[in-house]
Amino acid sequence: MDVRVPRLAEGVESATVANILVAPGDRIEKDQVILELETEKAVGPIPSPVSGEVARIHVKPGDEVSVGQPLITLSESGAAATAAPPEPKAQPAAQPKSARPTAPEPARAAPEAAPAYRYTSATGAPPPAAPSVRKIAGELGIDLTRVKGSERGGRITIADLRSYIAALQQRPADGVAAAPAAAEKRAPQAIDFSRWGPVEKKPQTSIRRTIGQRMHESWNAIPHVTQFEDVDITNVTNLRKQYGPDLAKKGKHLTLTPFVLKAVVAALKKYPIFNSSLDEATGEVVYKKYFHIGVAVDTEAGLIVPVLRDVDKKSLADLSQELNALVERTRKRKVSLEELQGGSFTISNQGGIGGGHFTPIINKPEVAILGIGRSSLKAAVKDGKIEARPILPLALSYDHRVMDGADAVRFIGELVGMLENFPEELLKD
Amino acid sequence: MEPIKTDIVVVGGGPGGYAAAFYAADKGKKVMLVEREKRLGGVCLNYGCIPSKALLHATHSMRDMEHSTARGVAFSKPKVDLDKLRGWKNSVIEKLTQGLAGLAERRGVEVMQGRGYFEDSRTLRVETSKGQKFVNYDQAIIAVGSRAALPAAFDLGNKRVMTSTEALELEEIPKNLLVVGAGYIGMELGTVYATLGSTVVVTEALPNILTGIDSDLARPVMRYAEKAFKEIRLNTKVAKMATSGKQIKVNFTVEGKQKEETYDRVLVCVGRVPNCKDLGLENTKAALDEKGFVKVNAQMQTGDPAIYAIGDVVGGALLAHKAMKEGRIAVEAILGEYSTSENVVIPAVVFTDPEVAWCGLTEAEAKQKGIPVQVARFPWAASGRAITFDRPDGLTKFVIDAESERILGVGIVGVGAGELIGEGVLAMEMGATARDMAESVHPHPTLSETLMEAAEVFYGYPTDTFVQKKRTPLP
Repeated sequence: MDVRVPRLAEGVESATVANILVAPGDRIEKDQVILELETEKAVGPIPSPVSGEVARIHVKPGDEVSVGQPLITLSESGAAATAAPPEPKAQPAAQPKSARPTAPEPARAAPEAAPAYRYTSATGAPPPAAPSVRKIAGELGIDLTRVKGSERGGRITIADLRSYIAALQQRPADGVAAAPAAAEKRAPQAIDFSRWGPVEKKPQTSIRRTIGQRMHESWNAIPHVTQFEDVDITNVTNLRKQYGPDLAKKGKHLTLTPFVLKAVVAALKKYPIFNSSLDEATGEVVYKKYFHIGVAVDTEAGLIVPVLRDVDKKSLADLSQELNALVERTRKRKVSLEELQGGSFTISNQGGIGGGHFTPIINKPEVAILGIGRSSLKAAVKDGKIEARPILPLALSYDHRVMDGADAVRFIGELVGMLENFPEELLKD
Repeated sequence: MEPIKTDIVVVGGGPGGYAAAFYAADKGKKVMLVEREKRLGGVCLNYGCIPSKALLHATHSMRDMEHSTARGVAFSKPKVDLDKLRGWKNSVIEKLTQGLAGLAERRGVEVMQGRGYFEDSRTLRVETSKGQKFVNYDQAIIAVGSRAALPAAFDLGNKRVMTSTEALELEEIPKNLLVVGAGYIGMELGTVYATLGSTVVVTEALPNILTGIDSDLARPVMRYAEKAFKEIRLNTKVAKMATSGKQIKVNFTVEGKQKEETYDRVLVCVGRVPNCKDLGLENTKAALDEKGFVKVNAQMQTGDPAIYAIGDVVGGALLAHKAMKEGRIAVEAILGEYSTSENVVIPAVVFTDPEVAWCGLTEAEAKQKGIPVQVARFPWAASGRAITFDRPDGLTKFVIDAESERILGVGIVGVGAGELIGEGVLAMEMGATARDMAESVHPHPTLSETLMEAAEVFYGYPTDTFVQKKRTPLP
């Protein structure tokens, strides 16, 4: 039987042959796309109404064809060939009742009309395509065995690849089609908030966007768990009172953070997994033998994390001074790029502005971060009696791919022990 | 000492290595090329492809002149000036290596002479004549190649037992030469020495010469070799060798019987082994396969994400052009481009007399794997061009998928086959069918016509020969 040009759309009587996807001798299935027709509006695939073998092709690419004109002749081999209406049934149904011709309807029939094609050869050879075509397909992540070649021996041309991609874009995401990921992602619909009241639009600064990207990346890549703890810092408070004034005379302002830095280093030394990174390419854990601690600084532009080097090798007093200078420079946006790199662990101290427990996001590729809230006097039980003690909220977020909850409890336990009984000799340099 | 910082370090300056280094530099990378020898070019340029082809050319013209007598143009017997021949061969090498050095310099590729050793995944130590240097890199490409195997039993510490490297030095023309191994290197160099005047005996442990080549393609080579060599002993094992004065005493095992003979020199061509030792690979995450080659994926990346390996050291066909292609694949992978070694057609050429060249699927392989194919052959006895230069001992054939008519393999034997196979490679890479080949006009009278005519044989209508049964009528 002959496959003829179907009714295309209201008012559209002719079309141009864009691509022929079969060759004489090809065995084709019902609904398999045999060729593509182009009108002023779009390119649409023409499915075969029956199964059979291609006996003759009456047209060639570029030919102008009219509705009802024979396109190919099929020899109906086997009983499977059933007489079908001359037009694919999906078309009239989808026809809009509009005076203006829209598009050749076959385009919309594509999802049903394009069966999952698979190239197979008894020889085991890959689908025939020139190296240039293979390279483009590889870059787009397209499996060439799914692309029907239009040339001799089923050779795939750039045009074939293009029409395959076009068909993919028309097809609803069915999970089966190997659609390139990029094609699936769509820009979210913009919401017009002014419908509900006055608004003002300000672009995000580039640093804000960078922070956003980093946070999103870390949040997506790392399974975060946050461990909460409270620590009684009476001891540290007393030490600050005892040593603070002397140091202040030397121009060194003794804050809480250096105590936490020292406690963190002690805990990192005891539990080195917290001072590591995961090499996702090799599946190796990289243990760092250095202790560079990042300190989150709240600046006008947004969060910036400069890094204090070799925290283990510096005295508390020096750390204090260095930290204050670093924070100052960071706020003025005067830190160098090097000072922002190479951290092995991060501390985010919100105590200066208040705050309780929170769930900090890990500074990837590090594997843990310690969040500190503001200390406040709280009722605590001391030697069986209730006393008002300064209590500091701690929150440790960790990468659950690298360590488990038990590790986190041990690590935070070490921190608590250190802060509650802070070794006084660390203050004497 | 402060380590030198570079984007890419390429270890080994053979064809794979310099191709990778040049390409990476052309793509904007800072590249360092580490080569232990004074000259770039590796085995191919210094001790392999190039010197052997130079010598084959010289000896080929000697034979041609000899044959010319029958055509009515006689020359006097050629005189071989060995020093001059060696000098000319060396000048060919010199010219090409200097060209390479210039190309490296113009691209800004820094060439460091010394032996490379991996300290860890990101550091290469280079032992140079001026002491150790350390190179910090983002990616390394290992291209250290292979060397001729010399089994311990043959390694007498005697210069009369040669590998291809020494044979190409052309120190003398031995009166009696034994060639162990009838693979392509043994057959090529055996041909050179036989033409220069040596009496050559070739032994092969396997039942065929040029193992792996279709028998119809090997046949003309065998016919020639039977005339050129004193003897070709197949199914023969060399059991032992020993120094005997100025000669080498060799014990053979032929069909279970022992045999002893003496030769002036022995050329051992029993394969090649990768140069993976003393490279410090154990300090990286790169691993070797069971045959001792570096294991890589289709992007030429080793088990160590920062380290790639290409060429002979990763095994497969030990061919310069394969290494060069792999070098490009590695660089493209490093640049984040899509690139793969899968389904790349690698041709092979044996520069015997006549030459043999092939690519893709061989007939024997198709038969062995039960792949349904049709074979179309065009004998050169029907080629006008072959007859005009008196060498009708050739054959061009296609291995074709009967269903799609796609060309799956090309095989050619005959003078200049190596120059013809490129068209076969292009046809295969383009997914050409026999029809595409048959309908592409080839110039007359040339040997390239044999490709078109072999394709016509498939359809049953070649002009210059006759095929009994027509397969498909002309449309």
